[in-house]
Amino acid sequence: MALYETIFILDSLLPPEEIDKQVDRVKELLETNNCKVIEIDRWGKRRLAYEIQKKQYGYYVVIEFDSDGTAPQLLSNEFNYNDKVLRYMTYRFNKNIIKDRAKSELKAAKETKELEEKIDEKEAKVEPVIEAKKVETAEEGKETENEKTNE
Amino acid sequence: MKRPMNKNTRNGRNALNKQMDKKNFKIRRKRVCRFCTSNDIYIDFKNEKRLVRFLTEQGKIIPRRTSGNCAKHQRQLALAIKRARHLALIPYVADIAR
Repeated sequence: MALYETIFILDSLLPPEEIDKQVDRVKELLETNNCKVIEIDRWGKRRLAYEIQKKQYGYYVVIEFDSDGTAPQLLSNEFNYNDKVLRYMTYRFNKNIIKDRAKSELKAAKETKELEEKIDEKEAKVEPVIEAKKVETAEEGKETENEKTNE
Repeated sequence: MKRPMNKNTRNGRNALNKQMDKKNFKIRRKRVCRFCTSNDIYIDFKNEKRLVRFLTEQGKIIPRRTSGNCAKHQRQLALAIKRARHLALIPYVADIAR
């Protein structure tokens, strides 16, 4: 089993119900063929960089799934047969994407940890902040004294 | 361009100029791969704004000798650009209206 992602562009002129139907259809197709759908990301209506079938806009849908090697063939059969799909692409995640994701997850985990720590520190350091302000005011006082001596 | 000739200092000057040229040449040529400096492992084709930087106005891929990318990242970038083109995120050919 490996991670795959398929991106397909639907005709944006279709009614919303029809778009939902199409997405569900792909999802069901995957699930009936022992694929585990992980995430469905709808980018929504976007302008195409060039016309496809004389259309300026397309509705982008991204589906991430876990499957064996048969899924891309299945999807291409489905998409080729379907007139409502303008374009599609299915690709397998290579090691770089997986590494990158692991890294970003680590980073996110770290950041959340840091944030939590910061919040804790803030709660603990309510009093020291006031002290720091006092120190600042004292320094300012010194500066004014220095200026006076200069004069 | 003709430089003013001075018999006494001519040889020394030329040597100095050569040195300077070499130095300038090296400084000019030094380019670092942007993906290496930002510690990127994977170049995402979905982020088309990032890819556009490495395209000419016509939509061609900028060669490594001008962009300064390392071989590893240039390969990844080319793949990302080709995928983005297929999905109509980036044009294959951008027309310059005249």
